[in-house]
Amino acid sequence: MNLKSYLDLFELLEVDTSSREERRAFGLVNIVTQSRPVEQLSAWVRENRVKLKKPELSETFSSTLYSTTLIISIVAFFLGFISGVGLLSYSGHEPVNIIYFIAMVVFLPLFTMALTLFSMFRVNSTQSMLVHISPAFWMEKILRLLPNKIEDNLKEVKINPLLANWIVIKRSQIIALAFSLGLLFALLGVVATQDIAFAWSTTLSITPESFHSFLQTLAFPWRDLYPSALPSVELIEQSQYFRLGDKLSDEMIQNASKLGEWWKFLAFATLFYAIILRFVVYLLTEFGLNRAIKKSFLTLDGAQKLLNDMNELIISTHANENEQQLIQRHTAYDQMLNSLDASYDIVQGWAILKESLSVIADSMKVISPKFFEVGGGNTLDEDMEIIHHSQGEVLLYVKSWEPPTMDFIDYLEALIKRVDKVIVCPVGTIEDAYKTEAREVNVWARKLSILGSEKVWLRVSSVKTLSREALNAES
Amino acid sequence: MPSRRQTAFVHPKFAVVGHPNKGKSSIVSALAMDDSVQISDTPGTTTKKRSFPLKVDGEILYELFDTPGFQRARRVLAWLEQHDVSADKKYEVVQMFINEHKNDPKFNDEVELLEPIMNGAGIIYVVDGSKPYGEEYEAEMEILRWTGQPSMALINHIDESDYSEEWKRALGHYFKMVRTFNPMNTSLEQHVSILESMAQLKEEWTAPVKESIILFEKYHDQMLERSSAVITKLLYRSVSLVEKLTFHGEDATEDEKNSVEENYKERLRELERSTQKTIETIWNHDHLQKEEQSLPLDGMDLFSEQTASVFGLSRKELLVTAAASGAATGAGVDLFFGGTTLLLGTGLGAVIGGAGAFFAFNELSEVKVLGQTLGKRYLEMGPMENRNFPYILLGRVIYHTTKVANRSHALRGMAEFAMDNSFKDKWLNDDLRKSLEKYHRKFRSGKEIEAEELAQYEELIKEVLKHLTNV
Repeated sequence: MNLKSYLDLFELLEVDTSSREERRAFGLVNIVTQSRPVEQLSAWVRENRVKLKKPELSETFSSTLYSTTLIISIVAFFLGFISGVGLLSYSGHEPVNIIYFIAMVVFLPLFTMALTLFSMFRVNSTQSMLVHISPAFWMEKILRLLPNKIEDNLKEVKINPLLANWIVIKRSQIIALAFSLGLLFALLGVVATQDIAFAWSTTLSITPESFHSFLQTLAFPWRDLYPSALPSVELIEQSQYFRLGDKLSDEMIQNASKLGEWWKFLAFATLFYAIILRFVVYLLTEFGLNRAIKKSFLTLDGAQKLLNDMNELIISTHANENEQQLIQRHTAYDQMLNSLDASYDIVQGWAILKESLSVIADSMKVISPKFFEVGGGNTLDEDMEIIHHSQGEVLLYVKSWEPPTMDFIDYLEALIKRVDKVIVCPVGTIEDAYKTEAREVNVWARKLSILGSEKVWLRVSSVKTLSREALNAES
Repeated sequence: MPSRRQTAFVHPKFAVVGHPNKGKSSIVSALAMDDSVQISDTPGTTTKKRSFPLKVDGEILYELFDTPGFQRARRVLAWLEQHDVSADKKYEVVQMFINEHKNDPKFNDEVELLEPIMNGAGIIYVVDGSKPYGEEYEAEMEILRWTGQPSMALINHIDESDYSEEWKRALGHYFKMVRTFNPMNTSLEQHVSILESMAQLKEEWTAPVKESIILFEKYHDQMLERSSAVITKLLYRSVSLVEKLTFHGEDATEDEKNSVEENYKERLRELERSTQKTIETIWNHDHLQKEEQSLPLDGMDLFSEQTASVFGLSRKELLVTAAASGAATGAGVDLFFGGTTLLLGTGLGAVIGGAGAFFAFNELSEVKVLGQTLGKRYLEMGPMENRNFPYILLGRVIYHTTKVANRSHALRGMAEFAMDNSFKDKWLNDDLRKSLEKYHRKFRSGKEIEAEELAQYEELIKEVLKHLTNV
């Protein structure tokens, strides 16, 4: 889990076109990681890394970040080294005041580490003041001034503020560490190449005993292991330096050889406060960054959907194949009648009982000597028998709500071979006073138009108002 | 070739059969939650059987078949009845009919509808309970009886009239189970009820169909979760949305101001549109045709400011940085004097640094380094300052989701989404408003929102949707 895999996931989510089935298949293969989403996402990144275009965004970003950090760290190291040499510069006339060096290797690191810890607590804030003053923050600004090609690549990277802050905090520790190493090297180098007389001097009224006790406190991490790295009270007394007077005190001159002993204390102070403690803080930021990366994995746009796709059952209910589109050719049916004659040779009812037929005919003031039920419960032979006895003009009642089936068409085809004219008359239910709906009649008209017989006519009866539900179904 | 009895129990299958235009496709559409099924008042719209499997990770739990309606039922029955066989051989006669008429266009529809039944599908016979019963149905029901497959009847109500009782009396002679189902107005409860009836058709089907019911409920929950996630994303993106337009003069022109405002509004509307589309896809309503007003933003007090940046930092960011740097320098002075300055150096440093950055901001934005101008002037709109906006947007998207989730897949007409003022009372109360406001404030702040916080917001939305949908 690192920044590279975060950036790879970021880029993959942008370019990935895998289907839900492919993602689910991956989830099933890696079922053991289902409860560990970050791990699951990392595994998915590893599996799909091949899809990334070269050069990978993560590589460009990491290498740019690495080289910038390296350059700034080298600069920081030399700054530290020069500062160290400057602080320890010894002209031979006056001893080197260790207070400056202690401030630089103990108090300044403690102060900046405190700021670091504070900024770690405020890391969620996008406008964290402490992050803004960090040199590492300015690295990003320097990146923007780099040649356009690199900048364009990096413009694609959208790191969330939490992660960006952690990157800044971590890089700041590396820079501070390089600066501290520069100080340590300067101390060791100066000590090795010069004979320095260290002293301490302050305007404040501090006795050597209290100063010793202060130093003893500072040296608590190493004083038992390396007692010689803690200056004795005598040495502190001997190395106290007052600026008044042109000359060094006699006592100081007599103990000149001992004054150099301070270097051990300064080296250990640098090692512990500026380097070891800083390294511990660096490890903390490393831990924090890793946690932030894990969190950021889940907040990346599309990551949650990817996880859902991998872990949720694919439940589908739809058809496997697309339905063949029905092309409806609606030709207008022009053999329509608006009214019925007073009498017909035969009245037939398609799936309408004989008793009902006479009621319907009566309601429409139609008379006929013969009434027959056809279709419906009749056998095919019974229907053929009725056709055999049919002649002249036939009024054929049909249930308007029942769509014409091919069974009806077969009957009609057989009937028109025997008779002169067939008037198909759709009727509604008795509750609707046999009134029909326009759409129902249209269905019959369309069907009869397929038949294309000059003998067949359709009677358009009165139309009832469509209900809301029926209208909806129709649309 | 394996016999029907040998192949029947791979997974439960159900063939939805019946007279033409009695709502078979509507029922399949509603049960399969598929709005792509062709539904029309023209008989013969369905010419081929179509399978609608309930698949879980590719494994079929049950399969529904939409079939064409009977066209020549009496002829088929007459053919079957020519064969005088005992009851246990009747299904073989039906199979013979299929084999003999497979390529006969005259019986295409009958072959198509009988095939899945002869392959082991249970029968769901559909009738229209809003129209009177007729004798012509008896041939169809008799043919189905010849197949020997377990069967049930569904009374569909296409219209408002009710002839259910006469239908029930007639259907009771042929089917051991008769249920009523309106595909135009379904709920999960009704859906599950039908599935439970289907599970009872055959003992071996009970377990897999019951399992399907559990998964089906899970599927609904999944759809609610996915909807909540996209709604959360919409709210977060819309409220935190910032639209910028760089300009080069001293002040932005009216056209530039209008342009940034229009872009901002259009992006908000586009976010809403794409979210609605995603929600329709989640609920399998890809073919939904709707009439809906677009997001009303006119007359709303939208936040807008004219600002600039230096080194990519806003004035505020630069001020903070400069003040902090000044404070750090001042702290060095304090340290030098051993704290005797009472942190005066720190304070002064911060003030000087901050003031310097504040007053020099405009000048800095003109400075060029390495050929690039450090600063940019731009118009900025967003994040959304209007406190009411998240509730307007949320109300609209919740209304849309509720309508889509509750809409039957059998409906084909134009959906009218016209939210009235009373809808707010159905989902928003004081407690919920307080809970939501906490997150809206965060969305507005531009701060990074953690995954857990978004999950909490999603949970709130899911509860609202659960309450509003008939799920």
